[in-house]
Amino acid sequence: MPETHLSTGPSLFRQIAVRLALVTLLFALLDVAIVVVTYLSEPESLAQELLTLEAEAIAQHPGPLASARSGARSGQPDASHWSIRTIDPATSQFPLPADRPQSMRSSMLLDWTMRERVGDGYRITGVRMIAQNGGPKWLLMVFEGRGVRPFWPVIRNELLEHVAVPLVPLALLMLVFNVVSVRRVLGPLRRAECEVDSLDPENMALRLSEPDAPREVSTLVRAVNRALGRLDVSMGILRTFTANAAHELRTPLSVMQLSLDHLPAGAARDDLQADTAHMTRLVGQMLDLAQADALVLDAQRVDLAAIGRNVVGLLAPKAFEARREIRFEDRGNALAMGHAEAIFRIYRNLVENALVHAAGKGAIEVVAGPGPQISVRDHGDGIAEADRAVMFERFWRKDRSTTTGAGLGLGIVKRLVEAHGGTITVDNADGGGALFRVCLQPVAAMAPTN
Amino acid sequence: MRLLLVEDNARLAGLIREGLQGQGFAVDWCGTVEGAESAQKINDYDLLLLDLGLPDGDGLALVRAMRRHRDATPILILTARAGLDDRVSGLDAGADDYLVKPFQMPELAARCRALLRRPGSALGTTLVAGNVRLDTAARGVEVGGAGVDATPREVDLLEHLLRHSGRVVAKASLENALYAMDAEVTPNALEASVSRLRKRLAGAGADISIRTVHGVGYALFAPESVAVSEPGPVNA
Repeated sequence: MPETHLSTGPSLFRQIAVRLALVTLLFALLDVAIVVVTYLSEPESLAQELLTLEAEAIAQHPGPLASARSGARSGQPDASHWSIRTIDPATSQFPLPADRPQSMRSSMLLDWTMRERVGDGYRITGVRMIAQNGGPKWLLMVFEGRGVRPFWPVIRNELLEHVAVPLVPLALLMLVFNVVSVRRVLGPLRRAECEVDSLDPENMALRLSEPDAPREVSTLVRAVNRALGRLDVSMGILRTFTANAAHELRTPLSVMQLSLDHLPAGAARDDLQADTAHMTRLVGQMLDLAQADALVLDAQRVDLAAIGRNVVGLLAPKAFEARREIRFEDRGNALAMGHAEAIFRIYRNLVENALVHAAGKGAIEVVAGPGPQISVRDHGDGIAEADRAVMFERFWRKDRSTTTGAGLGLGIVKRLVEAHGGTITVDNADGGGALFRVCLQPVAAMAPTN
Repeated sequence: MRLLLVEDNARLAGLIREGLQGQGFAVDWCGTVEGAESAQKINDYDLLLLDLGLPDGDGLALVRAMRRHRDATPILILTARAGLDDRVSGLDAGADDYLVKPFQMPELAARCRALLRRPGSALGTTLVAGNVRLDTAARGVEVGGAGVDATPREVDLLEHLLRHSGRVVAKASLENALYAMDAEVTPNALEASVSRLRKRLAGAGADISIRTVHGVGYALFAPESVAVSEPGPVNA
């Protein structure tokens, strides 16, 4: 039933996955915000990073180094003053931070940064060593500016290197892990869904298998099983009611039928007898149907030819009375797995159907085999295309004005054939008439225990 | 012929009793298993008609108990139980026949007669159908009161068909009855015998008919015979 797999809302799995992805994203944003705030609260390290970033940019783009360029590097557009020059530690007079004594001259070859207030802005002075043209060079950089704008490239660079690079693969990994584990956790739910789909209304004894975990799923499955149990009980009541009602009607019907013999002969008695016979047949069919519905097949090896011969022998007097011929043919090897009495009823209902619906029209041919199949063919008008889909439905009758039956015969046949795991088809035979063919399970196809 | 009817529905029992008495049977009636047991101690019955659902027990238990005590009295079960396995379990318990309610009087009478006619229980009876009579002891056949010559095999065949009048007798069962085990039976020997018997009876003006059911067997019908409505046990 493919339509059961169409669901209108988003799946639980998708909902959980989307939420997890959103949470991951939120955490990433929170991380970014924390990094930005932390840096902004530490202007010293920002200043340090600004110069380092500038020095790296120069190192990667070798060329004539202007002693004072502006507008060429990342930080400059926001600078009110910006200068870079190369210094030679041997010759040049080495600039020093104001707070350091000249005696520390050698240590000045190390990188240093100094930030100082200038008016409402700041000045950053520092030295960076870069490797260029095969040897070390020292750059003296001086930067003046105001506000946080000049630091944005620094912060961006920091985010890229220290937040994005480690965080993105980690987040992706976490997402994949989450998706996989959610799938696994929801697995029992999907299995339960498959089991619910395969529930057979004819076999209400089936229950869903209860998973050990997660507890929510096993609770749900147990609840479904309890509901199935209640349904089973009410179906059982319905079934046994039909069977019991039909069963209880049999004794009063017997009384009625035998009492009628005591009435004076005449048209009234004949009519009553015909009505009683009709009602008897109806009650019998309802009981047969209830039994067919309740049939749990304990398949045995059966001889379809022997059963067919038996049925034809028993129904032949009825056929002769209706001025019909009936014949049986064994086409060989007609063995199947099944329930002998049930197969007897399949034959009987098909033959009775032929007796009623092809009345007065030639022979009824009953065939067993070849192999595990039987067929019943009449020489009536055949089956109209439109009737084929509905003719196995319960209480369907071709002509409702007749009182010959309840329209249950073919429904009984269908149910019994289904219980055998067989198939029934109806066709118009060559030369006219309906041909019902029932295929059953071959002897080898079923395990002997089943 | 004395019958014991065990049926708890008084009205139905009355009707059955009346109907069978009309057919020449003597019928005693009781409504419980206990009643049936005490009735059997007093009288010897030729046939037991047994309902299954009785107020003080299951009829099948009575059947089993009788068979355990080597009581071979024929038992015909009369029941409303017609489940898929009920007939088989009834016969397995040791009943001889199984008739499902509701039934018609002629059908019940025919089944009773068939059970009473079993070998040993009735020798030297005269079988009648339409204007045909067969004296089973003297092996004489009469049509409309006049004697008809027939070979012993044809008389055997007619007897077999008369005993199951209105029902189809399987070819195999006729062949078993007519031909000795060692005799060579040609496939159409039976067919030829039936054909000769038909001609002989028709020539003498018999009003019965012997019908062929292809692939199954033969059936003899008297002019007013009633079709059998209930199927018998499945032999599978």
